[in-house]
Amino acid sequence: MKLSPPQTGILLIAPSILLIGALLVYPVFYGVWLSFFKKHSFFAEQQFVGLANYVYLLQNPEFWMSVWYGTVYSVSTIVLQIVIGVIAALIVNESFQGRNLVRGVILFPYVIPTVVAIILWKWLLNNQFGLVNYLLRAVGVIEDPVSWMGKDHIMTSLIMISVWEFFPFVVLSVLARMQTIPPTLYKAAQVDGAGPIRRFIHVTLPQLRNVLFVVILLRSIWMFTKFDTVWLLTQGGGAEKYIRTLPVYAYMRTFMYYQAGLGSTLAVIMFVILLVTTSIYFKMFRREEEI
Amino acid sequence: MKTRETSRLVIGLVFLFLSLLSSTALADKKVIHVWHTETNPASREAIANIVGRFEALHPDIKVEAEALAWGDLEGKIMAALAAGSPPELSHGQPITCAALQAKGLLQPLDEVVAAIGEDNIWDQIKKVGKFGDHYYGLVHAAGTSLLVYRKDLAAQKGLKPPQTWDDLLNNAKELTMDTNGDGKIDIYGLTIPGDNLFINILMGELTKANGGILFDDQNRPRFTDQTMIEILNFLKALTQYMPPGWEGHGYRETFANMYGQKAAMMYQGYGRGASLIEEYAPPDMANTDYFDVWIKPHGPSGKQPAAQVDEEPWMLFKDCQNPQEAIEFLKFFYQDENYLEYIQTVPIHFFPITKSLRKSQAYLDTPMIKKWKGWLEVQEYYLDNDLVKPTLVIDWQDMAGKPYLMEILGSGILKDMVMEVTKEGVPPAEAAAKAQKKAEELVKDRGYAKW
Repeated sequence: MKLSPPQTGILLIAPSILLIGALLVYPVFYGVWLSFFKKHSFFAEQQFVGLANYVYLLQNPEFWMSVWYGTVYSVSTIVLQIVIGVIAALIVNESFQGRNLVRGVILFPYVIPTVVAIILWKWLLNNQFGLVNYLLRAVGVIEDPVSWMGKDHIMTSLIMISVWEFFPFVVLSVLARMQTIPPTLYKAAQVDGAGPIRRFIHVTLPQLRNVLFVVILLRSIWMFTKFDTVWLLTQGGGAEKYIRTLPVYAYMRTFMYYQAGLGSTLAVIMFVILLVTTSIYFKMFRREEEI
Repeated sequence: MKTRETSRLVIGLVFLFLSLLSSTALADKKVIHVWHTETNPASREAIANIVGRFEALHPDIKVEAEALAWGDLEGKIMAALAAGSPPELSHGQPITCAALQAKGLLQPLDEVVAAIGEDNIWDQIKKVGKFGDHYYGLVHAAGTSLLVYRKDLAAQKGLKPPQTWDDLLNNAKELTMDTNGDGKIDIYGLTIPGDNLFINILMGELTKANGGILFDDQNRPRFTDQTMIEILNFLKALTQYMPPGWEGHGYRETFANMYGQKAAMMYQGYGRGASLIEEYAPPDMANTDYFDVWIKPHGPSGKQPAAQVDEEPWMLFKDCQNPQEAIEFLKFFYQDENYLEYIQTVPIHFFPITKSLRKSQAYLDTPMIKKWKGWLEVQEYYLDNDLVKPTLVIDWQDMAGKPYLMEILGSGILKDMVMEVTKEGVPPAEAAAKAQKKAEELVKDRGYAKW
């Protein structure tokens, strides 16, 4: 039997469609479906409750506190990652002795497993015996040890660790783009009398616009849904209540309260928040001809 | 070139043959999956040795023992149950055992109890896994929480064992010291872990020690009772004498505070910590002249001390593949020779469940047991007088009657309440009312509300 070209095409894409359907579309729709149920996470107990889960969460102060913590965490880490990442990329884009070594060292935080990074940082930030407090006291920055894992500083610690862990992604992306900027643009700017700062503002930054658009988008999605770093930081000690972001709250509802319905509702809400903010972001900053 | 290709082909075929052979050999054996929470190398080695001896006696059985971190266990059990492929045996929290038994997911271990001899097991231990006339859980070893204190410092200050919470507050105040005269505190009076599990353990203990209850017969939370308000006020007062940032300290950090000489008392200590003291405290201080234990005090509305007991039962799952073989393994595990090897890996924390082993000379001759005798005697006092209960269990009836305690523990409701009072300055009555509302919602959601 000879297949027509359209039939051959359908046959060829069928495995992909099946895979996408099974691994992506089905779980997403099942998650949305679950959000309308009161369902035990592991046992076959469920009851249709319509929009009750949504109503409950929107009236729940803990949910709003999680939204707030998640926003503080993601906005702070994104801003710092971009600023530090671009500065680091500018530095390692210059020629100097040992540049390759520095580039390798910068990548280090991004390649080590999160669990290792967190253990390392928890040890460094220990308020009684940690190296960070010791050094800060030695140079006279602080008089008394700072409780980095306590209520008042755990969010700062989390932001600091996350920026350290993820800024290399920004460096990589920005550096790759910087290396393709034609040197003639800088020469022309120099001829026009532009100093380093003006060259950065008028040449480098416009050239980085597209890559920064994508990097900010990806990092925003990843930081808003970041779970492992936040969760691991509070395991075995750590004032968890004060960094209970939305993904952590969703995990708690699903695997500690065993309320899979509410956990799914939180996941759907996170998805909607990301969808709305991403749409606004696209509307504000996307330029069709460049993307 | 041709020779090389031929050699590769031969090697490949040999590997294929060997893997087929091993999988066939494994397929002929009955496999018992055993999940336990003893991740320290010595205990893992002891279990591996016991497994080795068992397999030598039973060539048709293969035991696959897996050590899991505490925090991972309950989730893994639940996921395995949901997938319909539970292990044969697993450790679990007593309240997990109660919850699973209530759902009919466990098989009885009566045969193992009979093999050990029912009278040979401490009464307290029997209460953990007995539901109706059957044993659905059998504790692997018991270890009670302990109030560890610096004996040398207490002697310097002339302090007596605390009988009441006021005594404890006074001792904590006296032991909060500026040792070098620079106007800053060098040793804090007391240290407790701030993580969820230990705050739950603490709240269960304090509730018992203050004569209160957490849930009534209708399963309604009793967080707004006067007994709970007294607990919250006590904790608020106690935090004055605790290291800054205590809420971010885990269990091991609190022990580090003790052996690192940053704190003089530890409310949630365990016998396991004696090993940490031996390993990390200055060698001349690693003994009971410096680190000893007091019996815990009681609250203003309570009459007797209370502590928590860490006694995870073995559970045998209903839908497992080889239950009878698992029963045989457990019988073998509790035989004195095997059980002693296991107990000796953490001798001050693993209090044996069998009276015969406790009395045996081989056990009593264990060097650490001789050295930390007082620590074991306090644990025996608690166990003998029924002063210890599993986490969040106030009365033994709670084990069968309150199968939602597992969710209460996981939810962090009690921890949030404590944090609000001690760290955020929320009045105890207000924080308690908030926790009450959340716990009521959870119990209703689980379908256990009878009010």
